[in-house]
Amino acid sequence: MEAITDEVRQIISKELKIPFERLTPDTALQDLGAESLDFQEIIFALEEKFDISIPYNANEAAAAGKGETARVGLENLQTIAQISAAVKGLMDAKTSA
Amino acid sequence: MNRVVITGIGVVSPVGCTLEDFWPALVEGRSAIGPLSVARSERLSARIAAQVSKFDPAPPLEPKRLAILDRFSQFAVVAARAAVRDSGLDISERLALETATVIGNACGGQTTMDDSYFKLYFQNSPRLRPMTIPRLMNNAAASQITMDLGLKGPAFCVATACAAGTHAIGLAFHMLRSGQAPVAVAGGAEACLTAGTIKAWEALHVLSQDTCRPFSRTRSGLVLGEGAAVLLLEERAHALARGARVYAEIIGFGMSADAGDITASDPDGAARAMRAALKDARRNADDVDYVNAHGTGTTQNDRSETAALRDVFGSDARRIAVSSSKAVLGHGLGVAGALEMAVTALALHRQIIPPTANFEEVDPDCDLDVVPNVARQADVNVAMSNSFAFGGLNAVLLASRA
Repeated sequence: MEAITDEVRQIISKELKIPFERLTPDTALQDLGAESLDFQEIIFALEEKFDISIPYNANEAAAAGKGETARVGLENLQTIAQISAAVKGLMDAKTSA
Repeated sequence: MNRVVITGIGVVSPVGCTLEDFWPALVEGRSAIGPLSVARSERLSARIAAQVSKFDPAPPLEPKRLAILDRFSQFAVVAARAAVRDSGLDISERLALETATVIGNACGGQTTMDDSYFKLYFQNSPRLRPMTIPRLMNNAAASQITMDLGLKGPAFCVATACAAGTHAIGLAFHMLRSGQAPVAVAGGAEACLTAGTIKAWEALHVLSQDTCRPFSRTRSGLVLGEGAAVLLLEERAHALARGARVYAEIIGFGMSADAGDITASDPDGAARAMRAALKDARRNADDVDYVNAHGTGTTQNDRSETAALRDVFGSDARRIAVSSSKAVLGHGLGVAGALEMAVTALALHRQIIPPTANFEEVDPDCDLDVVPNVARQADVNVAMSNSFAFGGLNAVLLASRA
């Protein structure tokens, strides 16, 4: 898990040009001034790095439960700890599939 | 300055290819959104779209011509023929020399591109078909219309993404108003539904998995569409002299650039385009009865557009009926504005405001009269049609009852 968290920190550090050391599990992307396009680039970088698909929909903050597949809402991708947990969940789901 | 009217409408749409199919679907809020059917779709997460399913270009277009037309040009030529037929105008050789053709399009010949790249990179084909370039170029639809109808006046295409159809009609309107042409064939065409394009849209994380619900709190994103819509614009005196049926008069066109975010629309840019259209028409905000919204069904668009409408219309924003046709037609990118201008013209002609279909719950951030689910008979004297493109390029048309 720590390895995943470090990779997530690396990616966010690179995308937002913020020193790696400043990023802790409690750091929230919003507090780093990330805009929507930064967020999409980070999602893409995570998907490329871990070979996963993050089923995130930018419109579903208010529409949880709509749609057929389990979705990841923005509220679950706020902090580095949350993002790392989501990545781990998707990687576990991939190996068990 | 000349006055400009709409005397013909031709559509190739996800709800049908005649006005008899098109208008009732809009009025009844019958959505065309359904299961997606495209080649090589196995790896797509998006499973839905608003596709043109009943389109058969074969009777109007002979096989030899068909072979040089990408799907978006096929749509365009069939819609242009329908618009001219609907107008009853006989375009003589002399009139053809002056008739303008302006067609909006965002993506070019995506089917041709996707098929070509599949052949080249996946099937390792050493060569591509000779008509690949003429089929995929963005101006193909405009060119093919001129060739098909023999129109030899000013002709060009406009590629402003989701606002292209609106920009095309607006520019044609200004050409007629200033006397550069007496007649124009103007609109948009798009056939963007290929595995490659949809995959690229997935990366923006804005596509809905179930359906499009503009302005509804329970919205889940946009749904891609396709089609063509072509309007026959005619200088008003020219139309009246031949006793033409007039759907509506175009009275204003406004444009603006956000000069901000590449994807997120800016309420200020949208409001400036609406004000520019009102100024162009020498009308006041309180003249407007109906707004056909851009209304994509993304949280970002719907809230930003609501803020822009509140800014322009002030306390009137609650009085004006605002509906989005995208719940029925999907988002056809370069054709969206043209299809929606057709809807706006028909609303003025029939004096019926089509609803925002698929509406479920009020979003407190979009507290407008969005005409939820049920059409309305109303006095519609002036109507506005909004289009806001990725890249922050905005276009707004204003039309009045004929």
